[in-house]
Amino acid sequence: MSKVIKELQRREIFFCIARELENHQFFVGASDGRVYRVMPECEPPVFLGMDGHRGYVTGIVCARGQVISAAYDGSLIWWDSREGQPRRKVPAHARWIRGLALSPDESWCASVGDDMVCRIWDTESGLLRRELAGHAPRTPQHFPSMLFAVAIAPDGQRLATADKVGKINIWDSSSGALLRSIQAETMYTWDPKQRIHSIGGVRSLCFSPDGRQLLAGGMGQVGNIDHLEGKSRMEQYDLERGELIHAFEGELKGLVEKLIWHPQGHVIGMGGDHGGFVQTYDLSSQAIAQQEKTPSHIHDFVSNDAASRFYAACHGRIAIIE
Amino acid sequence: MTLIRSISRRRFLATGTLGTAAALTTRGVEQLLAAEAQRQDKRVILLWLAGGASQLETWDPKPGRPTGGPFQAISTNVPGIQISELMPRMSRHLQHTAIIRSLNTKDGDHGGASRLMHLGRRDEPSVKFPDLGAIIARELGRSDSQVPDYVSFYTATEGRGTSLGQSGFLGARYNAMSLTQEQIPANLRRLEQISEMDHRARGQLRDAISEQFMRGRESSAAGSQREAYQRVPGLMASEKLFDPSSEPLSMRELYGETLFGQQTLVARRLVEAGVPFVKVSRAWWDSHGQNFETHLELVSELDQVLDALLTDLQQRGLLQRTLVITLSEFGRTPAINASLGRDHFATVWSCSLSGCGILGGSVYGKSDEDGNDVAEGPVGAGQLFATIFQALGIDHRKEYALGARPVPLTNPGSEPIKAVLA
Repeated sequence: MSKVIKELQRREIFFCIARELENHQFFVGASDGRVYRVMPECEPPVFLGMDGHRGYVTGIVCARGQVISAAYDGSLIWWDSREGQPRRKVPAHARWIRGLALSPDESWCASVGDDMVCRIWDTESGLLRRELAGHAPRTPQHFPSMLFAVAIAPDGQRLATADKVGKINIWDSSSGALLRSIQAETMYTWDPKQRIHSIGGVRSLCFSPDGRQLLAGGMGQVGNIDHLEGKSRMEQYDLERGELIHAFEGELKGLVEKLIWHPQGHVIGMGGDHGGFVQTYDLSSQAIAQQEKTPSHIHDFVSNDAASRFYAACHGRIAIIE
Repeated sequence: MTLIRSISRRRFLATGTLGTAAALTTRGVEQLLAAEAQRQDKRVILLWLAGGASQLETWDPKPGRPTGGPFQAISTNVPGIQISELMPRMSRHLQHTAIIRSLNTKDGDHGGASRLMHLGRRDEPSVKFPDLGAIIARELGRSDSQVPDYVSFYTATEGRGTSLGQSGFLGARYNAMSLTQEQIPANLRRLEQISEMDHRARGQLRDAISEQFMRGRESSAAGSQREAYQRVPGLMASEKLFDPSSEPLSMRELYGETLFGQQTLVARRLVEAGVPFVKVSRAWWDSHGQNFETHLELVSELDQVLDALLTDLQQRGLLQRTLVITLSEFGRTPAINASLGRDHFATVWSCSLSGCGILGGSVYGKSDEDGNDVAEGPVGAGQLFATIFQALGIDHRKEYALGARPVPLTNPGSEPIKAVLA
């Protein structure tokens, strides 16, 4: 059973969270354009804001003693986390940055934005290493598309990106070659009749520890696209064959915003609609072992070393979940 | 002279403002006729944003405020006026556009609010009021017109039932030609089994019988029927107006490949051909979840369509006599809910008026810094309608006679907003 053991309620919306191992602190990105340094388990909790972005902060990683954030203003910022000051600000994308992922050796990170390009950055120098362009800027119905998700394989050799219409691209991170494309079309709902627009998209990606499988999270087909009322959905793919192994459809509605592969072999997914949820996927039985509601939509989460406690960036709060 | 002749004597005398024409001097009559002719040359295109477009993601951005959402504001070609960054193309047309940022219509229910923003007033149990399109059709349409007076597109099914096309007490003559599933009006074409010659012969026979019947009779019903049949050849010939494929590819691309874009291109074709009122409904904006993704889609589309329409009308010399309106039933809440959506909000929201009779580059009213309340110049539906009528040269105080009851075009006390009128 998942249980929220502590909440720090705020008026901001928190979109991303990263854990700094050395100092037992967290960094979260917020709707007020700030990155916050947070120590949620202190009493009283520490909550210090750092100014630098001009837009929702939607991606954050801690790499080799640095904090790197990404935002809807299209920029990446390297922070001096002790001083709370930006060290370097890079205009990274022409449109909103939707996600940021860190390589296993922390030497590079990858950002994705609504300019539909994935860019690979050197975490030390801040220099652009490579651009990966392979997602269409418009949907088949001629509307702007969005590049929502990025994940890097545990060996750092490949990375995956995913967009609004459910296209997942697998890339060779060294050469930039496109290795494979997968279409998770169920996660994109185009309503041609009632409302004549769309909702959905692949919102989260996660490689298996051996890199042979990929998980994609989002929401199934939606009847009334005014709301996040589609059933939560996680799809498990065999990357060698490019085939769907299994689609997990939750009883709870909303988007699966983040997935992690637990050391014990199961998968944890979090997200939500108006409220939030925590789901545990048992891959061996191809069933959702647990699905619990939480008070607020979860946009991102990280775990402690034992993966027994989770720290979640939510709408209007930071939550600690066990 | 051609223009004056084109106004029917019966319609001229029936016009309330000209009812005392017999008492006027010849010169006065000529002036009124000229004014009437000019007025009748005016048109309206209403872009009805059904479901409730967000004022914060269009005309009244609040960047940096907790309620502002993720979009920034951009400057326009009129110094001091900013709109959402989702409308970069529209930012080049503010010299022709007035923005009203202080609509307070108090009704956050789709059905009631939609009726209010179509009628300009609340329903009354005993009166079926005409909607904006029907009044414009009545006031600006010509009895000898070869094209419809009121055309309405509403293709999406959501909200169609509450998006009125109602001529009310004005009668069926002013009902909308309503297109929902088809893009070209159904039943306009001559039946295949009837030859052109037979079709013409049937029409001549009907005219002859009708004339014989009318001889020595005074019957408004029979007159209406004859008038309706006289419009048939023109309506049949207007079929090609509904087909945008006859436009150059560059023009179709200008409006965009979406249904809304192509229907708006047809709207321009219709007003150019003399249709006084065209409503193009773009549904459905009701973004309770994922407001920003929805508005990224829909405002981007609206921006392209508005840019194309205003550019096209201006290049054809039609903008100064065509009023382009963007309007919803309400706006959306400043508060962002946990689904990253915005809910219904009628307390303070926005609309735009471009072209005919409008003081371009003007902004009327103000919301407070978070967009929660009107800070200056609250505007109701009646006031907005009075402004629209005034922009078109129609006296909003004009009264229709409903039996013994005079019914003004707008409720008493609804005065036009002079600050946005040219």
